[in-house]
Amino acid sequence: MASTRLRRRLFVQRIFVQRVALAPVAWALLTFASSARADDAAQWVARVAHAARQLNYVGTIVYQQGARVETSRLTHLSDNGREYEKLVNLDGPAREVVRTLGEVRIYYPDAKMVRIEPRTFRNAFPSLSAEQQKSLTQFYDFHLVTGERVGGHAADVAIFEPKDGLRYGHRFWADTATGLLLKARVMNERGEVVEQFAFTDLTVNAKIEPAMVEPTFAAVPPDWTVKEASAGDVAPNETGWAVTRVPPGFVKIMEGFRKLRGRRDPVAHLVFSDGLVAISVFVEPYTTAPAPTGMTHQGGLNVYSIRQDDHLVTVLGEAPGATVRLIGNSVSHR
Amino acid sequence: MNENISRLMDGEIDATELDAVCVALKRHDAMVTWTCYHVIGDAMRGSGGPREGFAARFASRFAEEPTVLAPAPLRGRPLAIATWGWAIAATLAAVTVVGWTASSLVGETPAAVAKAGEATAVSAARVRPSTIPADYLLAHQEYSPGASIRGVGPYVRAVATQDGDRP
Repeated sequence: MASTRLRRRLFVQRIFVQRVALAPVAWALLTFASSARADDAAQWVARVAHAARQLNYVGTIVYQQGARVETSRLTHLSDNGREYEKLVNLDGPAREVVRTLGEVRIYYPDAKMVRIEPRTFRNAFPSLSAEQQKSLTQFYDFHLVTGERVGGHAADVAIFEPKDGLRYGHRFWADTATGLLLKARVMNERGEVVEQFAFTDLTVNAKIEPAMVEPTFAAVPPDWTVKEASAGDVAPNETGWAVTRVPPGFVKIMEGFRKLRGRRDPVAHLVFSDGLVAISVFVEPYTTAPAPTGMTHQGGLNVYSIRQDDHLVTVLGEAPGATVRLIGNSVSHR
Repeated sequence: MNENISRLMDGEIDATELDAVCVALKRHDAMVTWTCYHVIGDAMRGSGGPREGFAARFASRFAEEPTVLAPAPLRGRPLAIATWGWAIAATLAAVTVVGWTASSLVGETPAAVAKAGEATAVSAARVRPSTIPADYLLAHQEYSPGASIRGVGPYVRAVATQDGDRP
């Protein structure tokens, strides 16, 4: 019954659009305009990602989410394509993130602990698939505004405005000269800032000595706890889990099992992306210890956990709560 | 989206989708679709707007109405003000009618209300996780295109996770 009604509505609407609203010429123009834009958006994203990887820079980052503001110091060295990075937070309990080849170490001096992540940080820009490039402009209005200024640097602003309520709006300010990202802002459907970060002072093409990107604790003190994630990256695989209601524009970019610390069984991990953001789905056996379920968020990141019989589903992504929940509620056995 | 709008009108949207669809409806094009579907529905049920020749019939009937030149009686004034007030209210209502219809229709769908209520009760009863598990966060970041634009941005997040990053 409902589908008949829908079909009728769609049919009448289509007739209206075809015969009255849009001449075929207009269609052709629209198609052309949107494909040209898709390239622009994808190229812009690629340039900014490349700059973040290839340049040497040091600066102070202000990160804001809600009423919370935190500052940290970032140093990045690119040595013949090999990346070294050090991030030290300047407020609250000291934290230090040091990234070297294929390894990320996070130091927690107050807890006398270090976490070692054997991850390669695949973040070495995953080039967007053709489908993802299309999503960029099919689901976002993309504009590029030149002539702004951030932290004393001339900047271009890339605006990604969502065309539906299923994703956040994004604004990126990039250094006009080098393409390095200077400021980023995530906005909700009411135009309110969900989270943002900006360089307050930044030196691009700075002379970075290797010592500047080394951890403060070169050798881990003997009384510290070392939490090392088991090696072996995610094994691409069919997990037997599927998301039945994937928001339009999101495509599955990864599926596999992953060993997570403290868990006996491997965790199924599926990732969906619309080209700009990603949403991760984790499925693991529900243990006897009750896991917290429900919604939570941190800045532009929403997390939804739900128990599904004897499994725990956790969805995490840079998308509005409703979108994350929609996915979480539609996870099922294939 | 069009399918969702259609299902919303038929009261077939479940609570999990309701938020997203209502948010999506705020967009102009979605609202146009919404209005369009209602016009189609009205036309099919024959309960649509004025029939052909309405304007001409109205004009001729109006011309036949006698013009009242006598001043209104004093006690009529409060009534006149009230009427004027109603006229403004009606105009505002006309302006916002589309948005208002959207909310009232959602409110009138018993199934939707019941499901929404249920969802609220369920989520309130649940324990909310206080922080984002760092393992998930780090695993997720490897695949986020946004993370690669931001460079170290995601680690800023990880560092900002003050307690959740403890094991």
